[in-house]
Amino acid sequence: MNKLTTAFQKNRSYLTALFLSIVTALILGAILMLITGYNPLAGYAAMLKGVFGNSRVFGNTLAKMLTLCLTGLAMAVCSKAGMFNVGGEGQLFLGGLAATMVGVCLEGISPIIAVPLAFLSAAAVGGFYAWIPAMLKVKLNVSEVITTIMLNSVAIYLCTYLTNSGGPLLTDDRGVLGGTEAVPDPFMFSQLIPRSNLSTAIIYSAAIAFICWYVMKKTTMGLEMKITGENSRFAFFSGLKKDKIMVLAMVASGAICGLVGMFEVYGYQQRFMDSISNEFYYDGMLVAMIMNYNPLGIIIMSFFFAVVDIGAGAMELSIGISGELSDIIFAIIIFLMAAEGGITKFLNERKARKEAQK
Amino acid sequence: MEQLAQVFNIGLLQNTLRTATPVILAAMGGLLTEQAGIMNIGMDGMILMGAFVAVAFSYACASASMGVLMAVLIGILVGIFFAIFVVKLKSDEFIIGMALNTFAGGLTVYLLRSIFGVKGTFSDAGIVSLPTVHLDFLDGIPVLGPLLNDNSIFVYITWVLVFLTWLFLYRTPYGFWLRAAGEHPESLETAGISAQKMKLIASIMCGVFCGFAGAHLSLGYLTMFSEGMSNSRGFIAFACVIFGMANPPKVFLAALLFGFLQALGLRLQNVGVPADITSIIPYLATILMLVYVVVAGDRKKKNKAKKELKNIN
Repeated sequence: MNKLTTAFQKNRSYLTALFLSIVTALILGAILMLITGYNPLAGYAAMLKGVFGNSRVFGNTLAKMLTLCLTGLAMAVCSKAGMFNVGGEGQLFLGGLAATMVGVCLEGISPIIAVPLAFLSAAAVGGFYAWIPAMLKVKLNVSEVITTIMLNSVAIYLCTYLTNSGGPLLTDDRGVLGGTEAVPDPFMFSQLIPRSNLSTAIIYSAAIAFICWYVMKKTTMGLEMKITGENSRFAFFSGLKKDKIMVLAMVASGAICGLVGMFEVYGYQQRFMDSISNEFYYDGMLVAMIMNYNPLGIIIMSFFFAVVDIGAGAMELSIGISGELSDIIFAIIIFLMAAEGGITKFLNERKARKEAQK
Repeated sequence: MEQLAQVFNIGLLQNTLRTATPVILAAMGGLLTEQAGIMNIGMDGMILMGAFVAVAFSYACASASMGVLMAVLIGILVGIFFAIFVVKLKSDEFIIGMALNTFAGGLTVYLLRSIFGVKGTFSDAGIVSLPTVHLDFLDGIPVLGPLLNDNSIFVYITWVLVFLTWLFLYRTPYGFWLRAAGEHPESLETAGISAQKMKLIASIMCGVFCGFAGAHLSLGYLTMFSEGMSNSRGFIAFACVIFGMANPPKVFLAALLFGFLQALGLRLQNVGVPADITSIIPYLATILMLVYVVVAGDRKKKNKAKKELKNIN
């Protein structure tokens, strides 16, 4: 507890700024609702009801939090090492598809063997899909930002083709419009809150989150990553294998995204459909950016994001305000945080200059 | 053979021009910011906002030119907004760019829903599209006639703009200062010209170009607005800027190549290749293009160094 208070005091100005940014963003969201002819109080009330109204929706919110938390950590892991993985969406799609197909093909085998294999395949495929842009960056110095964005579109179109009419992986089940065969019931994670999306994936997610935090904050590996990300020349002259670290960070990021895809299917969707993710990774990226890629911060912030995101969806259903309001609020928070950082820097510089003149 | 004729015909070239135009426009804006030393990955959002505003005002005022005008205006505003963060407050370009894309995606869908009451796509007979241009003297010429005639007006404006961008960058003092702001900001400051101001100008011009690109997308290429209709074109434009080394004619050719590949994909759908597969082509090609430009650049440098070494010996 003592440690926590010191950590809080150290980051007090940052946390205050964050709190004010969130409040301002919510107020701006309210103004937007007013302008477009809705009652903001009713809007936010519907949002809260859609999150805390009953155990089912709250379970959905927690499930959403896990997704955001893992995608956010995936972003943090590679960013710390100086790589920007914008391709998590594609890694999520391919990882999810791979895990689903493993599950479908191994029907009848004991889950003790099949489920770990599904884990492995999701992580391997996601990791491999991140390895490609990582190698292009390290060996040829091709910007990983652009290649990962392009690979997103490639993966999503490919999965859409494979799992829709005309595609080879489309299910034979009648009455199902698109998607693969269903993962056999014994392989599915068990539900923690009935009829909600929350499953035992929460345990695996917590384990992954803990490993991420531990590796980044408590091991030499994490320190080496940080050095590489902050100053790659220094890392090089310190004798660190920076290329290897960068590739490894990227692959780890991709593997986490692949697992997120698997959790979506094994947690509740049961089939892989091209609607598996609605830009989940981009939301996770925003969480990571707001929290400065700090793992503990990401875990906490993803809860707030999940509340706004699930709440906005409920708001759309109940009073017709577009759920995209959540994206607007998230973006505004980032702009405000960026502005705050810039203004503080600007003021400090001016103060220093004045003192220098004295 | 018949199938081949179905793919490779005059329609392929016509489609190339049409699909390349929005990318060319955005890429012209992108190369200006690139020359000024700003990594601009927010172009996708800028295009999206331009497209939305163009459709909204074309519908509201029953005038396509009003739509374009407002798209340009919003482009200027977004350009200033981007510059405040990236140039003045020195925020991370990557974060601001990504946030801008998310913001644009969210805001356009939100407004689509609350103003027009539709989800996903807004198309209405009330949206006035941009006029097409018909030049009588081209009528008799076999290939060029059908290719260059009856295109949306922005196709022609784009060619002029590519030339003007080149003229601006390499033949005016402002262009010189703008390039200096990216390459040697300190020297520029020493010469008494504010590098920040040049970056602001580049950012605003990029906003205007992206506004054009959006207006063309929603009023020229199609006559509607749909959710996320920029479809990563801003990122492809960014890749074209890198591929063309931020040089207007080269970037223009890179964007044309992209347009050709996308058109090829559209044509292949006619002979039974699934649409989702052909959609992959331009994205995959962009990656290959980037790899090529880096490898070729390296080789050039090496050869040059070898030559110089020979001269010394």
